[in-house]
Amino acid sequence: MIRKNFFRLSACVLLVGLTAMAGRAQESMTKTAVNVNKKMVKLFGIGGFKGLPSYGTGILVSEKGHILTVNNHILINPGILVHVYDGRRYQARVIAREPALDAAILEIDEEVVALPHYDFDQETARPTAENGDWILAMSNQFKIGVGDEPMSVQRGVIAAAADLRGRRGVFDAPYAGDVYFLDVIACNPGAAGGALVNRKGHLLGLLGRELKDTRIDTWINYAVPVQATAEVSREGKIEKVSLADFVKLGIQKKYKEGDKAIRVDKGGFHGITLVVKAVSSVPPYVEEVMLGSPADKAGLRPDDLILYVEGFSVPTITSFLDVMKQYGPGSDVDLQYQRGNKLEKVRLKLTDPPKVPAAN
Amino acid sequence: MWRRNCFLAVLSLAVLTSSIRAQEDLNDLHEKMTKDASRKVAPSVVQIETRGGADMVVAGPKGQIFRKALGPTTGVVVGADGYIITSAFNFLNNPPQIFVRVQGQQGDPLVATRVATDKSRMLTLIKVESKSLTVPAFVPKKDIKEGQWAIALGRALDAKMEKTPSVSVGVISALNRIWGKALQTDAKISPVNYGGPIVDSAGRVQGIIIPASPNGEDVTAGLEWYDSGIGFAIPMEDILAVLPRLKQGKDLQKGLLGIAMKSPDKFSVLPEIGTVQKASSAEKAGLKPGDVLIEIEGKAVVNMAQVQHILGGKYEGDKISLKYQRGKDTVEIKSLELTGKDVVIAQPFLGILPLRDDPRLGVEVRHVFDKSPAETAGIKIGDRIMKFGVDEKNLTEFTGDKAGRGQFLDWLGTLTPGTAIKLALKRKAGDKTDTVSVTLSDLPGSLPGIPAKIIDKLPEGDASFKKALAPLELNNPNVKAPKVVAAEPPMPETGLLELNTPDGEHKYWLWVYPQYDPNIAHSLVVWMHPPGKNSKEDLDGWADLWDEYCRKHQIILCMPVEKQDGWLPTHADFVVAATRETIKTYTIDKQRVVAHGMAVGGQMAMHLAFNHRDLFKGAAAIGSTASGIKDNIGNQRLSFYLAGGDLDPLNKYVAESRTRLAEKRYPAFYREREKRGREYAQDVHIQEMVRWLETLDQQ
Repeated sequence: MIRKNFFRLSACVLLVGLTAMAGRAQESMTKTAVNVNKKMVKLFGIGGFKGLPSYGTGILVSEKGHILTVNNHILINPGILVHVYDGRRYQARVIAREPALDAAILEIDEEVVALPHYDFDQETARPTAENGDWILAMSNQFKIGVGDEPMSVQRGVIAAAADLRGRRGVFDAPYAGDVYFLDVIACNPGAAGGALVNRKGHLLGLLGRELKDTRIDTWINYAVPVQATAEVSREGKIEKVSLADFVKLGIQKKYKEGDKAIRVDKGGFHGITLVVKAVSSVPPYVEEVMLGSPADKAGLRPDDLILYVEGFSVPTITSFLDVMKQYGPGSDVDLQYQRGNKLEKVRLKLTDPPKVPAAN
Repeated sequence: MWRRNCFLAVLSLAVLTSSIRAQEDLNDLHEKMTKDASRKVAPSVVQIETRGGADMVVAGPKGQIFRKALGPTTGVVVGADGYIITSAFNFLNNPPQIFVRVQGQQGDPLVATRVATDKSRMLTLIKVESKSLTVPAFVPKKDIKEGQWAIALGRALDAKMEKTPSVSVGVISALNRIWGKALQTDAKISPVNYGGPIVDSAGRVQGIIIPASPNGEDVTAGLEWYDSGIGFAIPMEDILAVLPRLKQGKDLQKGLLGIAMKSPDKFSVLPEIGTVQKASSAEKAGLKPGDVLIEIEGKAVVNMAQVQHILGGKYEGDKISLKYQRGKDTVEIKSLELTGKDVVIAQPFLGILPLRDDPRLGVEVRHVFDKSPAETAGIKIGDRIMKFGVDEKNLTEFTGDKAGRGQFLDWLGTLTPGTAIKLALKRKAGDKTDTVSVTLSDLPGSLPGIPAKIIDKLPEGDASFKKALAPLELNNPNVKAPKVVAAEPPMPETGLLELNTPDGEHKYWLWVYPQYDPNIAHSLVVWMHPPGKNSKEDLDGWADLWDEYCRKHQIILCMPVEKQDGWLPTHADFVVAATRETIKTYTIDKQRVVAHGMAVGGQMAMHLAFNHRDLFKGAAAIGSTASGIKDNIGNQRLSFYLAGGDLDPLNKYVAESRTRLAEKRYPAFYREREKRGREYAQDVHIQEMVRWLETLDQQ
């Protein structure tokens, strides 16, 4: 009799336990969505381009109404309309931009106080998310919400944290570096600048633009992590800036934008001539190695097939040349190549191009 | 007593769990499950990279893929001794170099060789030199159920093998998809994880991800559904079953019976055989048109879909049993070995050009081709076909609800070369009617061994009766005449016109020569400009080359504008929209709508032709190779004009393309241009293209 009761009891406990947990799980996501929504704004541009949405999403990063968003086309015209979570409307203007981080800071034109916001330093101090982490992607995609209507919430996982350059040409991506790839179709019109958060509401990243993977002609869904950094060039010098620095200095109106053409051909000389580019995608087979060049010194020979540059896969001549542009004279560059059936590794020390132009 | 105990327990539980729950609620558990599953199988999920291979220039949902080959892809270990299975999609371009990276393996990537491809399930087996790969656990098919977790893993996004694969979480959406071959999942499936596994919550492999579509057979069919929530995977159990055969190094072909059903309706009519392919297993077994299949492999079948469900997963050489009904008899075949050859459909050729835009009953012959069946049968220019059929006593008359030319072509589309037909002709000379017997031959250009020629000179005399908009002459009082536009149609705009697709998103240009006459049905050439050559000047310059012929042969030019770096299959939608819009506004002969381009543009032209057959009747491509060649369809004729320059390194592939198209029995022509690379056509070749275009309505 006692045993039987005991059995019933434990069944009862199990049942209650499970329902309690399920209820709780739901609640935690709801809370997160509600809290995060308060820290987000809907952006509306004035005018805009044909075929491009003139609306977007932003994240509040100060109580006075500083907004972090993507540095995209809706910011081109001055005067941006901001709707905060409770329906208040303000005019805002851009006070800082950094194309290399694909980010911009807006400031609300009026005196406002005590807006719910993210403390950006605190968010960036956390470890980065990993593959398989549950996420919520929140944005005003498709301009579904106006005034006090909330952001659209989507659930998914981090598909991978990996280099965006792996999917786009190096010179092609607005921001070059590690991003979170998402398994949810989050990068829709107007979503850029939206928030990628974990279930606790911690800010993981800024939702990216509508971007296509040029290698396979498919849309990418990604977010730029809050810990992102980029190289910018200021008066000829290369400096590293983090998104956190940008936000901090941007709010203080002290941020100095990098030179426009950051990702220029840095022109390191390697001395490799590749096979004639007869068709658009020949693999980078070495045709000739210039005598005395870095490639010659490193022992590269005609017919070697270059596979990786600094770990980057270079399946075509175009991608090889593209990747090499990132390295200037004096850089050390690791190449992996195939000779016959063997894979070899070599380090090139790039130099200045020779004074006399090469025959090709 | 019981109630109170329970209440107490709940209370204590609440206290006990509240602290635990704070950190680890159900979502946490689920998240952990996903990651654990991924981590567990990670050593078996490898990254595959390829180099080189045939240079295929256009990517395509159903056409070929080029750019996909540039990225790394995914594979799954199926043998500790180095065997790895992956999606055949990743080996489309037959790359000579294959490299594999495995978690935990030090140093350089492993070199792999291709062992064999399963062409039924679109999988490829490769092998690396290794003795210590990790074979993952798998889920038997009987344990896979709808609604179970399905976690899709891939290695395409990240080169860092020490990390877990990329992950997308979904469920099993359905079993036995793609005619019994595949599992369906709502995890996000795309080139990012093709070749990778879907695994259950314990990290056991359920299947291997492939692009697939129930509507297409080629390796890339289904790509258009990437990330849509509809994805497919081949069950691991089926793969393991066929592995020993693949290891022998011979490609596995789909097993075919070699029949085509009488009706294209797969669901609501009995599976009655329409045609039996020569040398097929059906022919060997004595099956004949008119036989109705009633049982296959012991399962009753009442429609074609059920037949496909049973036969869909079979390989060449597999043996099946079947029962069929012939008249009142039921016949049983105990064991029938399936063949693996493609069923090739060929279209027949009578050898005439019909008079166009003719509302009168019948088909007037305006040209008879040399040495054609029509010539042999004594059909002359000016004769009018009034009745047609296979059985002389039972000839069909023209009804008048469709132009005679169209009705006649529809009927020919149901026949095959070699068929003897009877035609009742109203002779031009003497006004008498007689009936001739003709044995149809193959369309010129549709035989692989025989090089095809385009006629040197177009027939003189009017090609058109110039009454395209006049009401059709009715024969059958029961047939309602189609609606006819007003006798004096509004004259649409002519000249070089800048237009937008109806959604306003995409620009296209039209060249309509000023003397345009809406009573004549025009040819429409849709030009896929070379990458970047999209300015008004570029397009006007190209149209200039054609202008003389536009006026002489009533051709309208449509020039959609592509603004980025080259045509991609995703652009097909707006090209189609522009084409449809043009057909709506101008009088266009539906038999003479073609896509045209060079290099990438030519690939795009062929892609459009294969995938929008209701609209395009041909493609003219210069310096482009054909790929993603689809099967010929009886009543949807498609013709090809290919040209290459002997200086173009790709030229031999262009020439080969003609053969490959002809093997599928498409009428295809190849012109080698001397001392030319991949430049645009010279005038003499434009003239040839025009002659090709002008004979597209041959019958």
